[in-house]
Amino acid sequence: MLEHVSRSPLHAFGLPLQATAINDTRGVWANELPSLGYVSLRGDSKDRTFVEKVTHSLGVALPTSPCTYAGTDGAKVLWISPDEWLIVSQRDRIGSLAADLKAALQGVRSQVADNSGGYTQVLLRGRNALDVLQHTTVYDFAALEPGRVVGTTFGKSSVYAHRSGEGFCLVMRRSFADYIWRYLVRAAAPYGLGIAVVETTGHAALVVA
Amino acid sequence: MLVLFCPHCQEKREEEEFGYGGEAFRIRPASPDTADDDTWADYLFMRTNPKGWNWELWSHATGCRKFFVVKRNTATNSIAGSWTLSDGRKVYDAEGGSQ
Repeated sequence: MLEHVSRSPLHAFGLPLQATAINDTRGVWANELPSLGYVSLRGDSKDRTFVEKVTHSLGVALPTSPCTYAGTDGAKVLWISPDEWLIVSQRDRIGSLAADLKAALQGVRSQVADNSGGYTQVLLRGRNALDVLQHTTVYDFAALEPGRVVGTTFGKSSVYAHRSGEGFCLVMRRSFADYIWRYLVRAAAPYGLGIAVVETTGHAALVVA
Repeated sequence: MLVLFCPHCQEKREEEEFGYGGEAFRIRPASPDTADDDTWADYLFMRTNPKGWNWELWSHATGCRKFFVVKRNTATNSIAGSWTLSDGRKVYDAEGGSQ
């Protein structure tokens, strides 16, 4: 019997082997944060019981203001729509996180679905990161405030994006990851694209030399 | 290029993020099984297509993926406002329907 192997959507690009510490030679640095866990949470943000139970279970206030996100040490909760959130966490913690949420929401109209296979993330930073985003999306990322997450276009596809440290974090569907990465590489070519080392401990970030 | 306000995201966004959903607040015949062909064909195929103010459905396809209503002038492309479906319905009714 074949052994089960979990591969990131961008596995074929061999990014980990190309990764180097960030330096001044390139305008844009990017890499994938592979194999994170994703839980899709649905429920009514006007239902107080729902919001309280989710907040208690996650240990962080459920963001109910449009286009905001909240984070704890282990998880990040992105507002997607008035009745939908995406919870991002380490893959090995997502199972218990989802189980805890489901248990807490017994009897409350809601849905908790483990979507870990369905998404991936790309981090983007460097002096030209904003230029690249302006080539690829219709949203004015220069005006995007920290703590806000927006769903917008990326080429002919779409991403959820927010600021992450000095750069940007793009959350994308697995099936579009290949397209988005190739688009990103093409858009970043004039500035020089470097593949950055990803720090996998604690808050994921691209490592600066 | 239109810039539409999404009442769910509470932000103005570019038209490219949205999908057009056709005329808003159309009434489906209560019993399609017994409706005569003309009534049913009217419902399926006929639109008001006004020159002037028009109530339209739009979906924020790459954002919150929710539908909302926009009152847009088809001749000038000026926009009177965007509302959630329930809020928009109240304004629409207060105006006495499509005008």
